[in-house]
Amino acid sequence: MAMSLPMSSEATPGHFRFIGLRRLAKLLFGTPLNAALTLLFGALLVVTVPPMLRWLVIDAVLFDPDPNACRAATGACWSFIYAKSGQLLFGIYPFDERWRPAIVCLLILALLGWSVRPASWTSRLLALWVAAFALIFWLMGGGFGLAEVPTSSWGGLPVTLILTVVAIGIAFPVGILLALARRSTLPAVRVGAVVLIESVRGLPLLSILFVASIMMPLFLPEALLPDKFVRALVALTIFAAAYLAEVIRGGLQAIPNGQYEAAAALGLPFWHTQRLVILPQAIRVVIPALANTIIVMIKNTSLVLVIGLFDLISSGKAALADPEWPSPAAETFLFIGAIFFALSFSFARFADFLERRGPAAH
Amino acid sequence: MLSDAKTRSIIIQGMLVTAVIAFAALLVSTTFANLKARGIPIGFDFLTMPSRIIISEAILTYKSRDPYFWAIVVGLANTVFISALVIFFSSVLGLVVGITRLSSNPLAAGTCRVWVEIARNSPPIVLLIFLYSLWWKVLPPVGEALNPLPGVYASMRGFVVPAISIDIGMTGALIILFALTLAALGYGLARSGRLPPLVVPAILAAGVVGLWLADIRFAVDFPVFTGSNFRGGSELTPELSTILVGLTIYTTGFVAEIVRGGVLSVGRGQWDAGHSLGLSRGKILRLVVIPQMLRVIVPPLNSQYINVVKNSTLAIAVGYPDFLAVMNTIISKSSHSIEGVFIILGAYLALNLTLSSAANWYNRRIAIVER
Repeated sequence: MAMSLPMSSEATPGHFRFIGLRRLAKLLFGTPLNAALTLLFGALLVVTVPPMLRWLVIDAVLFDPDPNACRAATGACWSFIYAKSGQLLFGIYPFDERWRPAIVCLLILALLGWSVRPASWTSRLLALWVAAFALIFWLMGGGFGLAEVPTSSWGGLPVTLILTVVAIGIAFPVGILLALARRSTLPAVRVGAVVLIESVRGLPLLSILFVASIMMPLFLPEALLPDKFVRALVALTIFAAAYLAEVIRGGLQAIPNGQYEAAAALGLPFWHTQRLVILPQAIRVVIPALANTIIVMIKNTSLVLVIGLFDLISSGKAALADPEWPSPAAETFLFIGAIFFALSFSFARFADFLERRGPAAH
Repeated sequence: MLSDAKTRSIIIQGMLVTAVIAFAALLVSTTFANLKARGIPIGFDFLTMPSRIIISEAILTYKSRDPYFWAIVVGLANTVFISALVIFFSSVLGLVVGITRLSSNPLAAGTCRVWVEIARNSPPIVLLIFLYSLWWKVLPPVGEALNPLPGVYASMRGFVVPAISIDIGMTGALIILFALTLAALGYGLARSGRLPPLVVPAILAAGVVGLWLADIRFAVDFPVFTGSNFRGGSELTPELSTILVGLTIYTTGFVAEIVRGGVLSVGRGQWDAGHSLGLSRGKILRLVVIPQMLRVIVPPLNSQYINVVKNSTLAIAVGYPDFLAVMNTIISKSSHSIEGVFIILGAYLALNLTLSSAANWYNRRIAIVER
């Protein structure tokens, strides 16, 4: 949870700055408590960091393509990650077609990078994303001149990225509708929204994914049943929408009644009032909470492995099954963890930036 | 007619209700048709039949000839057990880490910040799988088990800790449930104050007698290393240890941030005001600062605790039989999927509602009383 609370005016901890040696010594050993903390944490680091470094870098095999080099070494086996990077990143996608998911990943990352600039927040951006996703699904799925690849063969990083972006992208408008429905004056609409939001929020995502993957074939007629990828996407979207709805509802509650009255005095109808007056203000209030929810969703995408979708973790597990190599599981999961960390850490910094920019900016 | 607000609201709601009912009818009719086509009966009578499923480890005693409902209870007990331990350890550690992050010592604050950032930005399931893969790499064989605390050993085969053995059978558990209900009833009646004075002690006594009848054997047993193995103590398998350690590391990051925010929310002026009243530091902390901090941290802590219950389902990633994993096995074994889904939904909703009503009760108690 990002805290929007005022920091104390003292030295803010954790931010490394250039400070004089004397100042540093005073910070580390100035008071008995600080001296004790320094000794305790110093000892902790001395015990843990050197063996970690030895394993990670010094004794590690970096690029040697021979699996036996890894068997002989006592350190990490990064050459496995290097040799298997294609399989780790793209899973079971057909080997000759791997350039397609590679382009898809670059495209999504480039678009994300483009979208963080406040200057590019126009209605054109939305059109750009929609167009990009038409292209992405064509590249991934094939047809119109490309070899067809069913979703069951999609894998690795593109699956993770597509699931995250599409689930959040669809869940956001759905969440706004749910939040408005929950504050509606029509009792049937309100009750429906409350039941949906609260039951989704009361359940672990894993159980919702299980229902979507295992139970849905029982509930729906054959003709209406989407494939496994879409079912997971639907489950993720519903889950994200329920959480986003609650965050947005918090923002709606922060808007004073005068705003509604002013809009009514201008003669604006309901949807105009919401779109032009209420929502822009409400969403700006809750940007930090929205960012946290989105980070949780980025991390949640990793759960689809449990229902057998081929995301990053599953492709890591599949790569580890190769008997030629000594199965360096810790390295593989460290690599996958680093990808997720990079995604959500950079989003967290983006959220910090939005928060610092303050609600006054448009 | 459409411009009339009242008519319009009736039309909109009518359309919504019709759509929901139509969709529900579609779901129910296809489900029944599908079940009939596959020859699966519907009903909860399967619960009393012997389950014959295997639960690899359990807190309560379980044999595969026990009925389905007992297997469900055993799975639920595993989930409650993991959640309770993780909530306890991450609260204690989160308090320490959160306060240390505010320290002026850059080494201490920086280390704690690294912990918080890693916990908050990695998916818990990746953390669990990673830790599980480390288990055999980092920890020594049993013969050279690490002994970080008296009575606690860590080796490839998992943790060995002092055993607190609570031996409860199936009947015992039912009696405890009954006794707890009685006790809660007694407490509620006592607070309402509409009772002759003797009734409350009588109900409480009945509860105590119930607990005694349940024949709970309670003992603490320290493990002793015998050179090749451990005698006594209780062994936590690598799976269980990974979940406990992993979820605790993960949740601690979030609790620490909440604690840090809580401490920062109490202004320096409150300390000054306490000093000017002549209160000692301890008294200021206890009477002024902590009560105000609790008000800020209890609601977000509550949602973290609920998240712990939900995250305990990730146990499935390392193969520990939590409630969801057991239910999954039961559903595939008995084919009673509809009933299974309802039990899953009911159990998690009940667990989370219990947690949040406890937190709400506590929150009301510490809230500002405005007159």
